[in-house]
This record gives sequence, structure tokens and C-alpha cells, in this order.
Amino acid sequence: MRKVWAVVRREFVERVRSKWFWVTAVLGPLFFGAIVIIPMKLQASGGGAKRVVVVDGTTTGFGARVADSLTRNPEFTIVGRAVFGAGVADSLARQVGAKQLDGFLIVTDSTVETGLAEYDASNVSSFRHIEALRGVLDRLAVNARLERAGVDPGLVNRAQLRVDLRTRKISGSKTTGESSAQSFGLAYVMAIVLFLVITIYGVNVMSSVLEEKTTRVVEVLVSSLRPFQLLLGKVVGVGAVSMFQFLIWLVGGTLVLSRAAALLGGLAPPEATAEQVALELPTVAAATIGVFLTYFLGGFLLYSAMFAVVGAISSNEQEARQAQLPVMFLLMIAYLSVFALATNPGSAYAVALSLIPFTAPIAMPVRWAAGSLPGYEIGLSLGILAAAIVGVTWTAARIYRIGILMTGKRPSVKELARWVRA
Amino acid sequence: MLTPMVALERVTKRFAGHTAVDGLSLSVPPGVIFGLLGPNGAGKTTTIRMIMDILEPDEGTVRLFGQEFGGRSHSARAGYLPEERGLYPRMRVLDVLVFLAEVKGVSRRVAGPKADEWLDRLGLGDWRLRRVNELSKGMQQKVQFISTVLHDPDLVILDEPFLGLDPVNTQVVKDAVVELRRRGKTIVFSTHIMEQAEKLCDELCIIARGKKLVDGTLSDIKRTHGGHHLVVGFDGSAGAAQPVFLDRQLVKKADDYGQYAELELAAGADAQMILQRLVASGVRLSRFELMEPSLNRIFIDLVGSEAARPEARPDA
Repeated sequence: MRKVWAVVRREFVERVRSKWFWVTAVLGPLFFGAIVIIPMKLQASGGGAKRVVVVDGTTTGFGARVADSLTRNPEFTIVGRAVFGAGVADSLARQVGAKQLDGFLIVTDSTVETGLAEYDASNVSSFRHIEALRGVLDRLAVNARLERAGVDPGLVNRAQLRVDLRTRKISGSKTTGESSAQSFGLAYVMAIVLFLVITIYGVNVMSSVLEEKTTRVVEVLVSSLRPFQLLLGKVVGVGAVSMFQFLIWLVGGTLVLSRAAALLGGLAPPEATAEQVALELPTVAAATIGVFLTYFLGGFLLYSAMFAVVGAISSNEQEARQAQLPVMFLLMIAYLSVFALATNPGSAYAVALSLIPFTAPIAMPVRWAAGSLPGYEIGLSLGILAAAIVGVTWTAARIYRIGILMTGKRPSVKELARWVRA
Repeated sequence: MLTPMVALERVTKRFAGHTAVDGLSLSVPPGVIFGLLGPNGAGKTTTIRMIMDILEPDEGTVRLFGQEFGGRSHSARAGYLPEERGLYPRMRVLDVLVFLAEVKGVSRRVAGPKADEWLDRLGLGDWRLRRVNELSKGMQQKVQFISTVLHDPDLVILDEPFLGLDPVNTQVVKDAVVELRRRGKTIVFSTHIMEQAEKLCDELCIIARGKKLVDGTLSDIKRTHGGHHLVVGFDGSAGAAQPVFLDRQLVKKADDYGQYAELELAAGADAQMILQRLVASGVRLSRFELMEPSLNRIFIDLVGSEAARPEARPDA
């Protein structure tokens, strides 16, 4: 055991001593912080209020009502009204080109009749502004049509009062503070982190195996400890580094996010600040962190054994890069399914992915974050994963044992099968 | 009789398509320098790897210190320098040494000071906190040698220890080997360079194609495989001596180096006769000496040009 400990210690100390560890430690939270904050920031600022001219081609005063309504909307500044006519659109387009205007909205009588209007602007991809415009036009067009049919628009407005659906996730039987948008965001971030970290540390194990093989240190090592002890020490050592990395990220991430509130405070509209910001910061339940770490550990053990095999059967970096592709693809299946998993965590596909041990390490935490899961499913998935870890590690150790001493040609699948049986 | 430090009994190792070691038995008594000699591809490294537990023999047994376990179980008592050298390039010299000692079962507290002591002794004291890849090849070789002997093993196994060393470092390693024996350690080393083996070995075993050709003490082997040998040195051209060398009545075999020749006398031939003929031929002699054959001579005679050609080794 002391020999295994020596290997664990070396892997840990050498890695934590390296520049890259600290670069990742610092950049990690910044990177993930950026993923969370930048979209929020963009949404909050969104380029500010749009300066818009309303081109009125209506004969019923509908255009005036649109302009009036938009004036009261903080998203827009109505800088003027123009009467629809030849050449008006062209001259406004020039103003947009010269950045004196952000855009102009053309409403005509047919807007009410057929529901057609036109918004020409330098930026038509700002989802929020387009939605706001559409909302205003919709409401006013409906009102105008109702009015013409003799219905009181005030009555209709009251009748159409929209339901504000607040979503809160129930985990176990407790209501958590996680909202649905947050759940999705959390699931997504978890998938990214799991994928990246399993890959990074799996590849770490691989290059460690490869380094010992190419430098031939392995021969001295194997004369002192069993290949399995060496593999075990390596996986545990690198795993410990990853846990240490998480610890740093957790502490660092908490700091960045607590600062984020202050950061966002300055950017969001003043009256919305407190509530909005508090809501959008992820509140992550301890159970979620537990599930995340458990599956990370399982995924890391499973994949690092496979990455170790890749290192053991390759003789140089290039070969290893090629040989690692199948392993990467396996991990990517779950990663690429994040959307399906998060939007429909109860589907047959999602259940299948969480029972297959190679996809479960990403699929399960994503489903957990997106919606609650029955306990027996977690138990079953963890059981299968544990069995797979034992099986894969056993197979990997048998290949590793022979592979690390091999030089030259990479073995074929048939040869690998023979090594496993040997 | 003393328990042999290393004992191989009819050990066989096959790789896909060929037999690397074929029924090899050998025994290394304590306190000697034992040479494992053979041409390239003879199975020396495979034999050593089986002794060190890196490979398992297909047949036969390997005993170390009288027990039926290979090097791994005795890693604290055995030091191993593999043929293909290598250290962790990005680790500090001292850390590598301590780690490799730890893996053999030595505690960090013991290993640290010992590593410092050895580094100082081999003139690497200033380099202890440098990374391995900042060291020259020769310095790395020394570090690797230190890692082999740092834990003060009773048995030191060196696979081609002089390979790739410059004359200065060859001397350093040779001195260290002699010093180890003086302290009662047993050294097994493999080589295909006979001059070194001849100077260092007490006992040796010559193998070719995985089979033992001969083993025993150096003097015994010389006696049994000797025959009558003659060394002739020339002052100037040896051209005129050719007819003498080719006279099968007198000379069974001649190994002519131009300025120098080793002759094996034909059965019943007289060295005096050869001297007379050489003088008569007009060559100027600088040396004329009856002697034991060199190990190199015996090796080449035994192994033969045929066996020196290794079989295809798919798995070197």
C-alpha cells in the first residue's frame, strides 16, 4: 500500500505544482462565471432603448396609438412620426445607416385588417425588442378589431389578463429555490463542466501513462510494483487533483457569483434589481452538488480506466490522440443529448442514457438538475455504473499490464482481446 | 554451498512466433560480478526482465535470494537499471530519486538524505533541484544509476550499463560497480562488449538465441575454451606475414587486425616454428606472445557468425 501511496502522492504533487493546474483553477470559475453572467448582462443591457420612428400609413389613428403605446415602453424611444409616402422609407433607411436612428416601424391600415406590419432596423435579432414590438402591435390590433365590432376594449383587456406562471422545482418533497429557467441553465452548465472535467482529467491519466511508457520509466516501476498498483495509484492521484480543483472552483465560483450580484445591480433597470438579480443567481441545493460529485467520480473512474488503456496501447502522442477518439465519442453522446435530457428528463431516451454506464455520468446529473428523479432510478443507475467501473477497470488493467511494456506497432482489437484473456 | 542470489531453472519465454529464452538455467553466487553475455537479440534483456518480474516465464522457475519470487517481491533488496533508460523529464532530480526509492519500499525520510549523499558523490549536488530535462544525457545516466543503487540493494542488475556512455562516465560507472562488489554486493550485468566483461566479471554466462552456450568462472572458461593462442604485433606492414597465417599446418585460425594479429595454433604446431617463419619472411615484429585467448575470441568462436544473426523479433 505504501508503494501505491507513493504513486498517488507523485501524481498529486507534480500536477498541483504545475502552472497549468493553477491557470485552470483561476480561469475555471471565470469561464463558468462568464457563461452565466455574460448572457444575463447582455440581456440586461440589450443595447438600451431603441430610437424608432413610427411611419404612419393608417387612416384610423391606429398609427398614433402605436406610437403612443411605444412611448410608454422603456425599451423604445419614439423620436418621431412620419406620414407614409413615397421615399419616406428610403430617407429613414439612410438615417439608420448614419446611426441617427435604430429603426422604423411601418404600420398601415392593413396591419389591422391582415395583421401585417414592417420593422426595419439595424438590428433585428434582438429577441427582446422584437417580442416587445410584436406584443404592442398584437394588443392594439386586437383592440382595434374589437372596437370596430363594437366591443369595449377595456373589458377585453381585463378578460385577457395573463397568468404569471411562477415555476419552482420540487426536489424530494421540498420546494427548492430553483426556477425552471435556472434548472435548465444548471443542467446545461453541469453537462459542460462534467464533459470538460472528465475529458481533461481522463486525458491527464492517459498522458501520465504515456509519459511513463515513452520515457521507459515504467520498466523500473513495474519491477517494483504490480501494474495494477501503478494504475490504481495513478487514477486515485489524478482523481484527487480533480477533487482539489473542484474545491478551488467551488470556493472561487461562490466568490465570483456573489460579486456578480453587485455587478448586475449596476446594469439592470433600477426598480427590478433586487428581485430579478436574486432570482437569476443559481441557488444550488446540496443534494445537487452531491449527485454531481458522485457521478463525476463514477464517470472519472470509468473513463480514466479507458483513457489509461489508450495511453498504454499508444507509443506516442499522435497515436494516442487518434486512439482516444472512440472514448471521446462515447462521452460525447450524453453531452450532445443535453437539450433532450433537460427538456424531457422523463423520456425513454433519457432513462436509457442514464442506465447505460458510459452516458450516465453526464445524463443523470442533467436529469437531476432539470427535474426530480425517483430514488430507485438513481440507485439502479449508480449500481450499473459501479459494476461497469469494476468490469472496465479489470479489463483495462489486463490490457495496461501488457501494453505499457510494448513498443512499436499499436495492437489490433484482436490482440487486445488476447491480452485480456491471457 | 551458499544460496545463490539469482537462480534460474530451465526458464523458457516465448513471444508470438519465436522463443526468446529457451530452457535457460543459471546460478549467480553472492558477492560476484556476473556477466550475462550474448549477441544482440540473444535473450539477455528478456532474461533480466524475468528475473525482475517484469515478464513471467512460460516455463521454469526464477528464484531470488533462495525464494521463489522475482524482483518485485524483493524490490527493496534488488536494484535494476533497464537497458532503455528513462526518468520523468519534468520532475526535479531529487524528487525522482526519492520517488523511485519510495516505490521500492524505502521511506521518504531515509531516501532524501541518501539521494543527496549520492548526488554529491557523483558531482551532481548542484543539480538536485533542477528538472531532469535540464540535465545532459550523461548526468541523466548518472541519476539513473543512483536510482538503481540508492536503496542499498544486495543485488544489482544492470542491463547494458555502459551503453551510450562516454569514456569518462564509463569509468564512473565501472568504479561504482567495483565499489559495490567490494562492499559485498552481487552484480549481474549484461553486455555484448567483451572487453568490459573480461575486465570486470568473476563469473559469466554466454547465451545465444536464448540458449546457454557456456557458463562458469572467467578463468575456467578460458582454460576449457582456450586452445593455444599467440599474439603478434608488427612494426610496419604485416603483408609479408600472410603466407604464414594461411599455413594450416601451423595456424588453425588467424584474426588479422593489420598491425596486430591473434593466432590460434593448429594441433601439434610449435610457436617457435611460427616465429622462425615470421622472421624469415622479413616482417618486423614488435610483439610475440603466447597467451590465453581473449574473451572476445572465445565468444566469437562459440556464438559463430550464424547465431549472431538474430531472428526476427516482433516484440523486442
